[in-house]
Amino acid sequence: MRFKKTELTHVEVDMTPMIDIVFQLIAFFMVISNFEQTQADERVRLPTDVLAQPPTVKPAHELVLNVGFVRDPDHGIPKQGPIVFHNSQFCRITETDSPHQVLIYNRSTGQNQTVETVPFAYRLEQEKRLFFDRGVSPAEEVTVIIRADTHVPTGLVQKLIQMSQETFTGSDGSSQEGFAKFALKAEMATDDRAFQPRGN
Amino acid sequence: MQFRNQKQPEKMEPQMAPMIDVVFLLLIFFMCTLRIISQEGDFNINMPAVAQAQTETPKLLPDFKIRLLADVETGQLVEIRFGQRSLGTGPRAFLLLQQTIKEQIAGSPYADEIEIEIDADFDLNYEHVISAVSACTGEVTGATTEGGRRTISRFVEKIKFAPPRQSQRPPVGG
Repeated sequence: MRFKKTELTHVEVDMTPMIDIVFQLIAFFMVISNFEQTQADERVRLPTDVLAQPPTVKPAHELVLNVGFVRDPDHGIPKQGPIVFHNSQFCRITETDSPHQVLIYNRSTGQNQTVETVPFAYRLEQEKRLFFDRGVSPAEEVTVIIRADTHVPTGLVQKLIQMSQETFTGSDGSSQEGFAKFALKAEMATDDRAFQPRGN
Repeated sequence: MQFRNQKQPEKMEPQMAPMIDVVFLLLIFFMCTLRIISQEGDFNINMPAVAQAQTETPKLLPDFKIRLLADVETGQLVEIRFGQRSLGTGPRAFLLLQQTIKEQIAGSPYADEIEIEIDADFDLNYEHVISAVSACTGEVTGATTEGGRRTISRFVEKIKFAPPRQSQRPPVGG
């Protein structure tokens, strides 16, 4: 019996719909990627609240202070207390000038390592002077954004505010007022249950 | 004039494979770098230094004082006091605080002048202070959201902190 020979045809898959979908996916991920919160620090677990709303007007000048803990997976919150993460430096909320050594958990090695901390009062004074030298009044034009962890003792946040308020000597030798505007950051609660503690 | 062997122009098809490779790489990059972060909001506090604040005009109404007491060991909230009145602890106490302030302010012509002072124990966990600030400043009036935002009614704008107290925890070396 004879069969009619059929020629093999080269089937081409239409790629256009797939490329359309992939481009749409890329556009979606680009839009929802959060590039704005670059100064946010993952070592800070913010408290949640239903009333916390993103600001409608972004302050012209801001200084972000991240206060938190380098948590050890076995022991949780370290005993030496919270640390201010400022320009990749570890700072302690203290007025004393002397540097201090603390044990910080290193995630990459999984072990504690000794790190030298800097007193934050000195850094704050530098920040105030930097704003002043740029012609920006720290008291009137700068908002200090405090991003503090849920477990930071309130007294330390108050101390941080006090240190920010303190007067400083400008580069021209005049005495200037410190920061006066503060914004306490909190995460927007996803449900409507108010005043629920976040826990560990 | 006609030529023999005149070739038909070939249909040029762009090479799709490299473009698809790049597009998939981009897609994988964005998928991997995606961090799902909850939106952040803030509570604004205007707190000039003490010397600067004293030059302001005298107030018509006394400040409301909120006292937050903490457990020294854990930093958890033990009691909320509004003036001399104890409101208890936990989420219910914050709701009671919210209602009390709302009642005190309702109908007052000087509502804008009212300032609330939060006096917390040094060792109190910061999250309770945020809850107190939230309870003092406003409430959610509608569960529905408008573009991701809740409908909020604010009743107090001015919040300040009392000077920090002394820590009751023993100092930790190291």
